[in-house]
Order: sequence, then structure tokens, then C-alpha cells
Amino acid sequence: MVIAIQLDKVSKKFRIPLDKQDGLKGSLISLLSGKANYREFPALKDISFSVQKGEFIGIIGPNGSGKSTLLKIIANILRPDHGKMRINGDLSPFLELGLGFQGELSGKENIYLYGTVLGMSKKEIDTKMKNILAFSELKDFMTMPLKNYSSGMHVRLAFSVAIQAKSDILLFDEVLAVGDASFQNKCYKYFKSIKGKKTVLFVSHDLNSIQQYSDRAILIQNGRVVANGATKKVIDYYSRKQSTH
Amino acid sequence: MTRTNYPDLIKELAFTDFKLRYHNSVLGYLWSLLNPLLLFGVLYMVFSVFLRFEVDNYPVYLLFGIVIWSFFSESTLGAMNSLINKASLIKKIYFPRSILIISSNLTTSFGFLLNFLVFLVFFFGAGLRPSLNFLFIIPYFIVLLMIIVGVSLLISSIFIRFRDLSHIWGVLLQLGFWITPIVYPLGFVPEKYHFWILLNPIARIIFDVRNAIMYSIVPSPESIIGVFLFSLIILFIGYFTFRKLSPRFAEWL
Repeated sequence: MVIAIQLDKVSKKFRIPLDKQDGLKGSLISLLSGKANYREFPALKDISFSVQKGEFIGIIGPNGSGKSTLLKIIANILRPDHGKMRINGDLSPFLELGLGFQGELSGKENIYLYGTVLGMSKKEIDTKMKNILAFSELKDFMTMPLKNYSSGMHVRLAFSVAIQAKSDILLFDEVLAVGDASFQNKCYKYFKSIKGKKTVLFVSHDLNSIQQYSDRAILIQNGRVVANGATKKVIDYYSRKQSTH
Repeated sequence: MTRTNYPDLIKELAFTDFKLRYHNSVLGYLWSLLNPLLLFGVLYMVFSVFLRFEVDNYPVYLLFGIVIWSFFSESTLGAMNSLINKASLIKKIYFPRSILIISSNLTTSFGFLLNFLVFLVFFFGAGLRPSLNFLFIIPYFIVLLMIIVGVSLLISSIFIRFRDLSHIWGVLLQLGFWITPIVYPLGFVPEKYHFWILLNPIARIIFDVRNAIMYSIVPSPESIIGVFLFSLIILFIGYFTFRKLSPRFAEWL
């Protein structure tokens, strides 16, 4: 077994400003008064777990429990305060589909923009253009400015580019809540097709899709790993806990 | 986490910005030429009609300074704003943050190239012809790029914490424009200030290159080495400040 992701006691605190005082004045005031102008909020506390290569992990937990922060740390967007982390392989984070999309630009221009943001080269995008157009079913809208797309078309275009990423570790943060039934079906097929081949961390509030795809689930509450194991067990435990509140 | 397509990302971001900047405006890309030319027109009117300096080929003299200074000021201001404008990228995906600065500087470099072509039209139009001294442009432009990248890295990474910096920097650029011999000749200023004025590397670049290409005055080796070392120091300070602060950008934005 090869380990794809390993976290060892990873912790992260955020500084929450007490007043909205960006800029020199705010810093001067807090400097002169000798008081910290923020309070610390521990977003993640001693998170440890490991993920095998090819595993599909569902991550669940209430709002504000630290799920997104966790993905951002794994994606190297945030730096942990403490703890060790090891990532084995190329990684693509999908914390927002269509990241960097520009409404003024055409569908095609946005494919190139988003593709390069996701780490593809222009050449790669050229060769994958056929697949992208086929998957998105938006071939006839390529010259239209993105601002005139419906939100469903928007997501279809973004997802069609995103799935071209060749990384072997993929992070998804609540990105599939939109789209009609036929698109949902396509997504389902895509996740089926990468299952076992790619390592996936999948954050969602939709417990059905977690149940459907995941080999294992991790429950996070108040910045801690509360449960980690068989998907059904973790979901049941989470549901029971929620209903007792 | 190895990604090797950063050059494509830099190009894509730079071209996108260039496209978007002039999107929906009637004159489009022409504005990148018109802006410095209009400034030139205003200053030329004031300083050749109302006031007069004894400078040979004053329009060429004036335009050269404006083109170089605009490149510096637009690049550094653009770099500062690029991190804020691209906040969503910084917060949602990892790539070396310096890519945003480099691509922003690349965007303003396109504009600079166009402006420099216009300058050449003025240069030839005034009956001037390039000599071998024109080659001095090459080392000085390399130095100029080093300074622009260095200053951009430095102020953009500080700007994320201290948003007042964009206002302060705007004022400093105004001040810099007027204490640099762009609209007036250096001889117009008392000689005891010359040393201090030319300590500003942008002033040094404008002064030396203009002398070389317009008046066949060859810059001294000390001048070239001095401004090169100065720009190297700025580049290092910018690079290390940015490297130290950039891992926390996603938190601060």
C-alpha cells in the first residue's frame, strides 16, 4: 500500500480581527495600546490521518468545523502552524469550480484561462479541447461571453475542464450542488470512473453522495477528527449526534 | 506537487489582463498608447509654450522620460493591485505567488513596448539617427526590469498587510516624477542636488540613456556598475520579502 496523504498532528489557528482595522492606523493603534487587536481562533487541532493511494474519502462535518481549512492546508494554500504533512503525488484542488473565470471573455478563452490555472499547458488544452466540448455539450456557445451563460452552463464548462486535470490526488469542496439531472448523471459516471485510480478527498454536506462514492469517511467537528472509518458507520454516528442536538 | 506549466500560466494571465483592461472601450488597445501621449501633450504645452527650457529636441527628450517613468509607475501600481484582484486564485489554489507579479509586469511590458515604438517614431521624426550608443539601451533596460520586478515584489507583499501603501505609493510616484529630470534638464537644478537626484535609479536610467542616444554622451562605467548593483540589491530585498510573506497571503487577503 502506498500512502498518498499523511497528516500528523496538524494544527492551524486564525487571527480574527476584533475591529475592522486594516492599514497603518489599525496597526498603530494596536501597537500603541499594547493590546493584541485580534483573538485567536483554533480552526484545526491536532489533525492526524492518512490516505492510501486510490482511496475515495468523504469528509463530513457541520459548517465551520474546519473542513475547508483542512483541504486548503493539504493543497498548500495555507501553512499549518504545527504538525507534519506528507503529500505523495501531483495534487489538484477544486475548492471552487471555474476559478478565475472572466465573464467578459468567451467560453473558449475561459477554457484556456481555467485550464492553465489548473496547471495544464496550452498544448494539453488543445489536445483535450474535443473532450471538453463533448463533455460540456457547449460547443455552440464557445464564442459567447461567459456572462451570458446560465449558471448550469457555467458549472458544466468548469467541470468539463476540471476533469481533464491529470493529477493523481483530487480535492473537492462542495462543488457539485448544481446542474440538472443529466449533468448530475455525468458527474456520477466520472466519479465512478476515477474510483480506485485516483486519490480523492471529497467534502460534502450531501450524505447520500458521500455514501455513494466513499470508501471511508472522516467526521470533523470543532477542528478535530471525531470519527474515521467505514462510511456508513461514520454517517450514522454523525446523524445520531446531530439529531440529539 | 510538481507542476511545470508556469510559463503558460504567466502568459495566459498577462494576456487576459491586457485583453480585459481595454475591453468594451471604443479605442481599445490604443489607450495604452494614448495615456502617455496625452500626458506628453499636456506637459509639452506647459513647458514649451508657457515655460521654456533650453533643450535640443525637447519633445523627444520629454517623451523618453515619460515613457520610462510611466512604465515604472504603471508596473508597480499594477503589481500591487494584481494580488488583490486575484485574491480568489490565491485563496483557492496553489501556485508560486510571484507568478501573479511577473504576469502583471509582463502586461505592462506590452504597453511599454508599444510606447517605445511611438518614441522611436518621434525620435526619427525629429531627424535624429541611432548610433552605436543606442546599444546602451540594452543593459539599462535590463536594469530597469530588475528594479521594476524588485520593487513590485517588495511593495505588493507589504501592501496586503498595509492597504494604506497604495495611497502612499501614489504620492511617492508623483514626487518621484517631479524630482526626476523628465520635463526639465538636470542643469536646471542647483548642482549640489545632482548627486541626490541621480541616486534614484530610475532617474539615473533616464538621464544616462537619454544622454547616450540623443546627445552621444557615453555613460561612465561607474554609473552603469552603480545602477546595476543598486538594482540587484532592490531585486534581492524584493525577492526575500516576498518569499517570506507570500505563504501567508491566502490568510491575509
